[in-house]
Amino acid sequence: MEDTALKIGKRLPAFTRPIVMENMVEFETVVWNRGRNLHSNAEAARQDGLTRPLASGQNQLAFLHELLERTFGDAWVYGGKISVRYIYPVYPGDSLTIHGVVTSLDNDEGGKPKVGLEVWCENQNGQKTAVGKVTAAQPVSARSWLESSGGAS
Amino acid sequence: MNQSVQTGAIWGSIEVGEDLGTFDYVMTVEMISDYRRVVDNPEAAYPTVAARHPANLFYRKYGGRMRVPNTGQDSEYFNPPVAGKRITVTGRIVDKYIRRDKPYIIVEAKAVDEDGRLIEVSRLIGLAREADEPAFAVVTRKWGA
Repeated sequence: MEDTALKIGKRLPAFTRPIVMENMVEFETVVWNRGRNLHSNAEAARQDGLTRPLASGQNQLAFLHELLERTFGDAWVYGGKISVRYIYPVYPGDSLTIHGVVTSLDNDEGGKPKVGLEVWCENQNGQKTAVGKVTAAQPVSARSWLESSGGAS
Repeated sequence: MNQSVQTGAIWGSIEVGEDLGTFDYVMTVEMISDYRRVVDNPEAAYPTVAARHPANLFYRKYGGRMRVPNTGQDSEYFNPPVAGKRITVTGRIVDKYIRRDKPYIIVEAKAVDEDGRLIEVSRLIGLAREADEPAFAVVTRKWGA
């Protein structure tokens, strides 16, 4: 990635991720084991009145992070802000495409350039499932977090 | 408040500013690796996304009595977790309100590692329901399904 300033209207390169039940189950156990719940178990979902497990909002947040890490590098990871709302259910078998567009260029309180974006996840039917607003400094090529997290996995 | 809104006794008793306590854990190399594999992003910086700090804190106090399905999140990221470092999470209730006849609770969690590095501050926007109310009722009301 080059240290190229973003401009208003710039669309970030979108990418698509399938929603896979096995990954939903594992997502509930990495870092913390949350046990069986409506995100990971069909019976638990039924007991909660759902017809099938529902992907967690955090799953979508993870995809939005990927978009922002790719675009901003350290500028997202050190100081990025996101406000996201989950507006439509996501189920296993769905396919989400992750989008972002630059909407503003300002300066923060310290006078440093700040980029504003709208981001969203969209399912295979064109329905938005999550929408959010993001701010970060202008992108940089550095990805220094990889050094402190044991390198890319 | 709209008197027709069913907020429940527990929601009514929760106070803005309420301390939710603290917990800690070590972010291991394995956790980071597992997270990256599950989200199909070999360079993911914040495995804490899956840790759900605000929800974890809330359920340590209210688990079994109340659920706060995640309808959104406001987060700020300061320093990604370092493998092998202990992370301490503290939290509180920062707001509660009725919107479109539905009760919400906002839970804020702050994560700091053992070296004093601020990791992230996250706010969960929880659509509150008592634990014995099926999720279906709340979810379908929200999404109009």
